[in-house]
Amino acid sequence: MIGWLRHQKHALTSSLRRLIIQPVATLLTALAMGVAISLPSGLYLMLGNLDRLAGNLPAQPEISVFLDAEVTAVQEQAIAARLKQNDIANARFAPKEEALAALSMEQDLAGITAGLTENPLPDAWIVRPQAASREDLAELSAELAKLPGVAETHLDSQWAERLQAALTIGRTSVWLLAGLFAIALVAISGNAIRAQVLGRRDEILVSRLIGATDRHIRRPFLYLGAVQGLLGGLAAGGVLALAGWMLHPPVAHLASLYGSAFNLQPPTAYEIASVLGLTTLFGWLGAWISVARALHQVEASR
Amino acid sequence: MIEFSQVTKRYPGGHEALTGVSLTIEKGELVFLTGHSGAGKSTLLKLIAAIERPTSGVLSVSGQNINRLSHRAVPYLRRNIGLVFQDHKLLFDRNVIENVVLPLDIAGLNRRESLKRARAAIDKVGLLNREKANPISLSGGEQQRLCIARALVNRPALLLADEPTGNLDAGYAADIMAMFRDFHQVGTTLLIATHDDRAIAALGGRILHLDHGKVSEVSA
Repeated sequence: MIGWLRHQKHALTSSLRRLIIQPVATLLTALAMGVAISLPSGLYLMLGNLDRLAGNLPAQPEISVFLDAEVTAVQEQAIAARLKQNDIANARFAPKEEALAALSMEQDLAGITAGLTENPLPDAWIVRPQAASREDLAELSAELAKLPGVAETHLDSQWAERLQAALTIGRTSVWLLAGLFAIALVAISGNAIRAQVLGRRDEILVSRLIGATDRHIRRPFLYLGAVQGLLGGLAAGGVLALAGWMLHPPVAHLASLYGSAFNLQPPTAYEIASVLGLTTLFGWLGAWISVARALHQVEASR
Repeated sequence: MIEFSQVTKRYPGGHEALTGVSLTIEKGELVFLTGHSGAGKSTLLKLIAAIERPTSGVLSVSGQNINRLSHRAVPYLRRNIGLVFQDHKLLFDRNVIENVVLPLDIAGLNRRESLKRARAAIDKVGLLNREKANPISLSGGEQQRLCIARALVNRPALLLADEPTGNLDAGYAADIMAMFRDFHQVGTTLLIATHDDRAIAALGGRILHLDHGKVSEVSA
């Protein structure tokens, strides 16, 4: 066990030393990886922020229940009774006069409403249901629409749903992109490690002759790949931090135009750790794939 | 310790380097291997270290059958064999002591103990004052001594040397042969391929002669 740990430590320190004595190559590889990683992670962050933006807007869905113009008093009572049941959080009656008044407040529409001789708007109930799931809301909305005296209902969460649908496409794209760039990462790492193996041909051949196992020869290269992947992840962090820093003022400006205090959120510690963990893993994987082949090549060229 | 029984080695392409070689080397023996270049000396040494495998016949080293030795077992066989090469095979990306420490790192010894042993080995070959030097700055004789220090640092039971004095002038060659005599006296088995007759005369010992892949015993 102690011997095993000693081997690991030795391999790790020798890999680190090798990275330090080749600063330009190390930096270039880390940058290439960083750019590849920053694209999907940047998109992921952007979607997270959009999602949060959507969540900030009326989170509680509302159902507007518009009444028939010829609704009878009996029907109105039946509707009011239905809206007092348990599945409704609260319901507020909005008479058509209130709706017209609200409409007249809007500057652009004031001219139109002023010219009206009678109020064309229906009476309405603004209903906040208990249910939260989309299916339940749709079901409730349909049920209310069938009540006698109800002209139609309108589920106000529709636009939010459409945004969610768009975000779902975005999220799927993130995973697709992430998959593609993971392959790129493995390729970049594999290529860098291949160059390292071929560059250390003599050491590998001599080590073989004096009793090094394959595992011993492979180990420092695997560490090299993992550390290279980690550096790539950190470089991606740098790229994203720069992008965030550059986007902050325009986003704050746009938000202020909407009177919102919305701000870009940086990734959580958990997200950062996951990305770094994954890039380390992919760096290692690339090294693992390439080192076996490169060692074979070294052996063949003996 | 080493037993060849009707061993033949044919390289891809048809060249037959060894033909039906049978010989036995006991533990603690000092054996010289002579013959022209191309006579098969290097091939014979490579077979013992499992760098090459016999085409036919049976070869056993330290009780292990080389024909059937698995790829995974080869490193452990080599850790008990010290190899001295004519071209030294030193690593020029590290200093003298790091070259000698390499076999101990591979064996997984702790660093302090490794450095202590490496320093002792370097001292034995007279390079202690050059421990931090890059081997490229050493003379041919010094490089050969460094190669010997690396071969011995693991305290192997068997030392194989391929033309260890091949490129050296007489004074250096005598130094190195004297070193080999010391190792022989502490019980190491030595097999030295050379055509340096003076060295053989100075040390004495058993002589095997290779000619076109066939081996014969030479009485001293």
